[in-house]
Amino acid sequence: MAFEKELEAFQRRSEAARAMGSPKRLAERKAAGILNARERVDLLVDHGTFEEAGLFARSIRPEAADVSNGDGVVSGFGHVDGRLVGINAADFTVLGSSSAAIHGKKQSFVRNAAAANGHPVINLMECAGGRIPDIMGAAGIGASGEIARYSRRRTTPAISAVMGLTYGGGAFTCINSDLVVMRKGAVLAVSSQMATSVAIGEEMDPQDLGGWRHHSEGTGFVHAVADTDEDCVAWVKRALSYLPDHANAVTPRTEFAADAEAAVAGILDLVPEQRGKTYDMRKVIAAIADPGSVLPIKDRFAKVAVTCLARIRGRAVGIIATNPMFKGGALDPDSCDKIAGFIVLCDSFNLPIVFLADTPGFLVGLESEKKRLAGKIMNFMAALELSTVPKIALILRKSFGQAYLNMGGGKSDTTATWFTGEISFMDPAVAVNIVYAVKREDDPERFEQLAREVSKDTSAYDLAAPFMAHAVIDPRETRAYLDRQLDIFSRSLTGGVGAHRLADWPPAF
Amino acid sequence: MKQQKVASEITGKVWKIVGAPGASLAEDDPILILESMKMEIPVSAPLDCRIVEILVAEGDTVSEGQLVAVIEA
Repeated sequence: MAFEKELEAFQRRSEAARAMGSPKRLAERKAAGILNARERVDLLVDHGTFEEAGLFARSIRPEAADVSNGDGVVSGFGHVDGRLVGINAADFTVLGSSSAAIHGKKQSFVRNAAAANGHPVINLMECAGGRIPDIMGAAGIGASGEIARYSRRRTTPAISAVMGLTYGGGAFTCINSDLVVMRKGAVLAVSSQMATSVAIGEEMDPQDLGGWRHHSEGTGFVHAVADTDEDCVAWVKRALSYLPDHANAVTPRTEFAADAEAAVAGILDLVPEQRGKTYDMRKVIAAIADPGSVLPIKDRFAKVAVTCLARIRGRAVGIIATNPMFKGGALDPDSCDKIAGFIVLCDSFNLPIVFLADTPGFLVGLESEKKRLAGKIMNFMAALELSTVPKIALILRKSFGQAYLNMGGGKSDTTATWFTGEISFMDPAVAVNIVYAVKREDDPERFEQLAREVSKDTSAYDLAAPFMAHAVIDPRETRAYLDRQLDIFSRSLTGGVGAHRLADWPPAF
Repeated sequence: MKQQKVASEITGKVWKIVGAPGASLAEDDPILILESMKMEIPVSAPLDCRIVEILVAEGDTVSEGQLVAVIEA
């Protein structure tokens, strides 16, 4: 055969490059039940569709050539449920998938090609941080800056999975993504505990520094948590199903179950009649959305706000709700950040937004003011006002004060209220105290009389009379109502594509 | 059995104490109910547990993050 020697060398070199890091490291991972980079890619893509870029890439330093297969990252393109995506899968067995010149160049190539050609990007991340000695010295760190581009326009969706120790550049890649899932046991931090212990004399458990609880409950940096590598990849695939390939496309409609209308019939039993009683808004959402279609986003963070991707009669939407079960549904500073970030996601990828409000207002008080509540409310409002996707605001029970506006009241394509709606500048009982300086304990009779007076013009019909609510609806009609409104406000002139004025919004919300 | 303290997530007034020391609770069962923002807001058991001590009385004002009960699980 012609070129026999070259062919043999090609096969040998290909095989060696695909072997990743040392057999010892690979065996250790396997024993711990953790997948390697190539196994993760195999799990992600449709069988046989992976088109690798940079198999023969090596460290820029010749002395590291033999230990730098792929320079620590498996990059390329592949199909996920039939859709072409760009992929960067960190290979921790090769120099800890540390950030270095060729390693970064490969990832940038995939990101740039995906953005230019309209494909989503999936990052399966681990990263030991900047590579030593590559980043050492003035020229080392200087060179990093010449290559790296950190800001990202939301042209195509980016979904990241934190699947191991992820520091420095790897952490930044995740933060810059639209959605992040984190495996329990993984760590996301600027710097490892070894560096922090030296730099600031602080010893700590990496899980405290950047574990899943820290990020799902404290910082809100991750959108979901998974138990295993397999669950992480499954979450990435599911999340992608709600998003279009790029900002100029819409998510295709899907089939929905024939019995999808059943749950909403029982919706009146999910909400207490007494106005001061709490309930779990997530049950209401489950009744409104197509069965099994709700994908919670940041469900462990700022629980007053519920944000989720879901489908209504096969159409992908973003749902933003207040949950009376937590803090009575009073929006706190963290929930403002959570909602603002979610609006950015929906607006960037043409997902209509449905607001479901049952809130006594913003959570006022010392703690909130210290946490910059006024600024957070305005960031939330800026995102809302700048967004151009269809928005439908629905009031379930109460919606008071500025929170009425922030939850889309009068700020959406259409505003409606269940017949149980109660809308005012503040809770009537508080209003009596403030407007008339009367407390219930001082003069119960007068307090009740004034409370009746203040409550007088606050019903659903009082918002409908001046046509500020465009409809008053029976809660059992919610699904059908939303479906019809989504048809009406379909942005057909642009094929459902918005103006994306939030595409350059900062990442960490 | 390990003891832990339960904090209030919101500033408000203790309206009703539901669980007495010694009572066994399932996760999400209310320990006490606060009144705040004119809502009845439960402070619930974070997991299946037994109440060891209630640290506040009805009518007390509690602030966000204040410890209100000791439980063991």
